[in-house]
Amino acid sequence: MFNIQTHMDYEGQHKAEKFSRFIITLFGIVGLIWGAIIQQFSQTVYILGAGFLLASIITIPPWPIYRRHPLNWQKPRNIELPASSGDEGKKKKK
Amino acid sequence: MHTVLTRGNATVAYSLSVLACLTFCCFLSTVFLDSRTTAHVNTVKVLVKNVPDYGASREKHDLGFLTFDLETNLTSLFNWNVKQLFLYLTAEYKTPDSVLNQVVLWDKIILRGENSALDFKNMNTKYYFWDDGNGLKNNKNVSLYLSWNIIPNAGLLPTIRSLGSHIFKFPAEYSIASV
Repeated sequence: MFNIQTHMDYEGQHKAEKFSRFIITLFGIVGLIWGAIIQQFSQTVYILGAGFLLASIITIPPWPIYRRHPLNWQKPRNIELPASSGDEGKKKKK
Repeated sequence: MHTVLTRGNATVAYSLSVLACLTFCCFLSTVFLDSRTTAHVNTVKVLVKNVPDYGASREKHDLGFLTFDLETNLTSLFNWNVKQLFLYLTAEYKTPDSVLNQVVLWDKIILRGENSALDFKNMNTKYYFWDDGNGLKNNKNVSLYLSWNIIPNAGLLPTIRSLGSHIFKFPAEYSIASV
């Protein structure tokens, strides 16, 4: 089957949160300034809504750019098939 | 931030916090503005009748009739934190029985974007000018003034009295003719 990755690594999670905070804050500030210039608070709310949508698209789905720092797992030791029964002693050692 | 749901939750929560913060900024930017302005009120026709007040005691009370002119420009009151103005015209007078009597005679709602430079001539009142006794006949000092209540997007709902009022007097005789 397809091997679709749906996780973010730790660096990616940090990056996603940073991006979403930055985008929403930026749109909020721009919206406030624009709304104050044209004296329409509804425009401020709409611009913040656009920022929310953009942040949602960019940071909510686990895009591949959030998977660039995979963890270096150690290689598994003692690869044994569980079907090879009869060795109770070996299993306890694990 | 490890699943789609936690990231969605964090994004929504942060957006709402920013929205609350922006709304507060909008409130702060308008709370110190001066919303007073002048309104010129003038009475055209004034008369007083003595008729039974069936709404209250069935006794004969004074009922004032008047038509008025109103001229004011409220354009300066509107800003991004004003959705509408509620205007009302108050008559204020003193009688031997009570020191302060206030009767609302007329009101109007102005939405933002509507014409707010008002110039009304010879307007009828919307509400009855009942006194609770016989305090209107020959009352020399009735003042008429406009007030407004600002309905904002966020913040206070101030009630502001216009600068300037009109003082008029009621005639010393009851009017017999039907108005």
